[in-house]
Amino acid sequence: MSVKDGLQDFKEFWKEFSKVKQGLVGLGLLLAFAFLGIFGPLIVPFPGASKHWRDIDYWQDNPQAAPPAWTNFFSARKGVSSSTLAAITAETEALEGGASIASFVFDYPFFYDQPPRDLILRVPGSGQVPLSVTLERPDGLRAELFREQVELSEGSDNRVSVARNCAQAAVEFVRGRDAQLADGMNADLIKPVDIFFAKLGPDILGSPVTLKGDYKIEIRALIVSPGFRVGKPSILVSGHVSGILGTDASKRDIFTGVVIGIRWALVIGILTSVISVVAGVLLGIIAAYFGGVADWLLSRLYELIYLLPVLPFLIVVSAIFKPSIWTLIVLICAFFWTGSFKTVYSMTLQIKEETFVEASRALGSGKWRIVFKHIGPILLPYSFASMALSIPAIIVYEASVSLLGLGDATIVSWGQILESALTQGAVINKLWWWVIPPGLMIALMGMSFAFLGTALDKILHPKLKTR
Amino acid sequence: MYRYFLLKRVGYGILMYVVMICVFSTLFNGVADRTMRAQIDEEVAQEASRLRNLNEGQLKAAIASRRESKYRQYHLDESLPSRIFWRSVRTLGFDFGNSTIIKASNGDRAVSRIVLEALPRTIVLFSSEVVLVTILGVMLGLYAARRPNGPFDRTNSMITMITNGLPAWWLAMLAIMAFSYRFPIFPSGGIHSNPAPTHFAGFLDYLWHLSLPLMTLVFLGVWGTAYLVRNIVLSTLQEDFVTAARARGIPERKILFGHVLRSSMPAIMTLAILGLFGSIAGNIIVEGIFGWPGIGNLYFIAVQQNDVPILMATLAIETLVNMLGFVILDLAYGLLDPRIKVGGRA
Repeated sequence: MSVKDGLQDFKEFWKEFSKVKQGLVGLGLLLAFAFLGIFGPLIVPFPGASKHWRDIDYWQDNPQAAPPAWTNFFSARKGVSSSTLAAITAETEALEGGASIASFVFDYPFFYDQPPRDLILRVPGSGQVPLSVTLERPDGLRAELFREQVELSEGSDNRVSVARNCAQAAVEFVRGRDAQLADGMNADLIKPVDIFFAKLGPDILGSPVTLKGDYKIEIRALIVSPGFRVGKPSILVSGHVSGILGTDASKRDIFTGVVIGIRWALVIGILTSVISVVAGVLLGIIAAYFGGVADWLLSRLYELIYLLPVLPFLIVVSAIFKPSIWTLIVLICAFFWTGSFKTVYSMTLQIKEETFVEASRALGSGKWRIVFKHIGPILLPYSFASMALSIPAIIVYEASVSLLGLGDATIVSWGQILESALTQGAVINKLWWWVIPPGLMIALMGMSFAFLGTALDKILHPKLKTR
Repeated sequence: MYRYFLLKRVGYGILMYVVMICVFSTLFNGVADRTMRAQIDEEVAQEASRLRNLNEGQLKAAIASRRESKYRQYHLDESLPSRIFWRSVRTLGFDFGNSTIIKASNGDRAVSRIVLEALPRTIVLFSSEVVLVTILGVMLGLYAARRPNGPFDRTNSMITMITNGLPAWWLAMLAIMAFSYRFPIFPSGGIHSNPAPTHFAGFLDYLWHLSLPLMTLVFLGVWGTAYLVRNIVLSTLQEDFVTAARARGIPERKILFGHVLRSSMPAIMTLAILGLFGSIAGNIIVEGIFGWPGIGNLYFIAVQQNDVPILMATLAIETLVNMLGFVILDLAYGLLDPRIKVGGRA
């Protein structure tokens, strides 16, 4: 068979395939999944997530269990969406004696009914740097958030959290306007961010009303020695809603997790189905064509595995041996080769008696040549369909094992996201954005493979063509 | 002839079960032995703490001899093949030993008791699922078969394909979130309210707790069965006797229910049950999520608590149930479908 013949065959196949609407939908969905599986890590908001999924520090800036940003659209009390601010102006003012003052101004338009959860300032740089941060409010009042000498070092976080580090500053801010009110404040109990973003009045402690308008934040750093350096700072506004699909109880971005999960679902599904179908087809041919001891042994093995309850067995093995994802794939293969074995076995029994096989044997072909050259290619189309059709079940099995907390901890899979949802109370707390997307992805991916498989089956399986 | 087939099939099933148990014993020998030794050591230490009037040397000797005899009782001091053999024998005799953490409702730690306590509840959930799914599936399938490729049929086969790759436990999570917490209609789990009402109220309470898991399972299971029924009915509709019945002027409704359904019932029943036996293992996790205290939930807890004896026992029971299902189905095939040659030579 030359390349040209192959191309011709493919053209014919495509002509038939393009008539099956279901198959096209499946293929389209699958291509979208494949695209996201390959390029997903580049488009997600947290590109390092696949390495740092279980790293608490990596996710610390996100709000906890926050609903998706678009839910604001439906809610009466608009919450702040998490975002990162960049400085609109950056100036350096040289002083006498080699020192200089770097100042950065940030603009933050704020029109929400709830204050942000936190403002997190990050200042890259090195050395002992006196830092001052001031907030200019829409009502013209100025509040000093922070004035301290901080030790900056390259490579580390150098962060200042308004919610955690600026409680005293909030008390001082109120004292500047209303000393009596400030006396009633306890720096350990107040929420500084709420106060900085609230209308000044007697209810600022009990039920603060947000002050809407343009806020300006200025960061000034005094660089006393030429060896010290202050880079471009950034401010992260941590909100009540976050991202496309919200966050979980460990502050992880669910959209990122779901997109990264695509890759693993594809790897697990495709790898397992390819290995197990190839093994099933090969063993089926061997058992039927060679007969004798091989037939007896393989058929008994087939029966044994066919009668084993797959999921209970997988769970017990995972619970006891704690396998890695690759071992789990091999284990699932050990069950799934039986899916194509029997069909291939009976098909081979028929093909074996065909005249062209006999002719080939008469010409002196060896057994293996006949298996690979004559019988294999006939069964190849069938195996494609059965590969696609077995994938949904494989993905569900992996997810089920992961749901019990027995998954491989070095990867991010949808089952594991659902496991953390189950164990960390997403169901009780009605955190639907944590439960629905991963499961929906499992269903969608299963559906696209099922569509594709059924379409392939209709075209390639000669027996089903009749109806 | 059928009796011969029956004996052969049952005998083969038993043989397969024995082989599987041996495989399990070999595979999990290490961890099972370790658990058992730890249990014996703990037991002996407890006994020793009750012996007061002994000096240190005597106490040590007593503990050692007691441990020795216990090890001998369970063949733990023998070679690997013999340990595996005796473990298989114990498992086949339903002697699963004691659990490490999980207890029966009366505080008993005998695994067989714990499993026996859970088994009926699973059977209740499972059999009511089978009944409902079969009834609803036949209705939907017949309706779809009346107009093949019509809008209803297409929707039905579409839903079948979507639900095919849908994890039942995910649907269970959604169901609890929606109907137990968002709209508190059903309880979020368990088998009865606390305190449990008695008599008829208790029965209603039981049904109330059963309904959400049952509805979830039925909702997911019904589509596949409907699709199957549709295919079987469609192929029966092409038979000659249906054409003959139509030629005689028998109304379509009567043909569908009287002729077609009747003749395809054995196939529908067996295939439906076969499909559901496949789902019994899948129900493991669903039970766990609903906290329905059956075998599945036991499994779920055993995994979380790493209770090895319980895991081994539930695996053996699941395997047995699976095997029973296949044997019964094969026997039913032979009985219901005369076309399947029984006992003869192929």
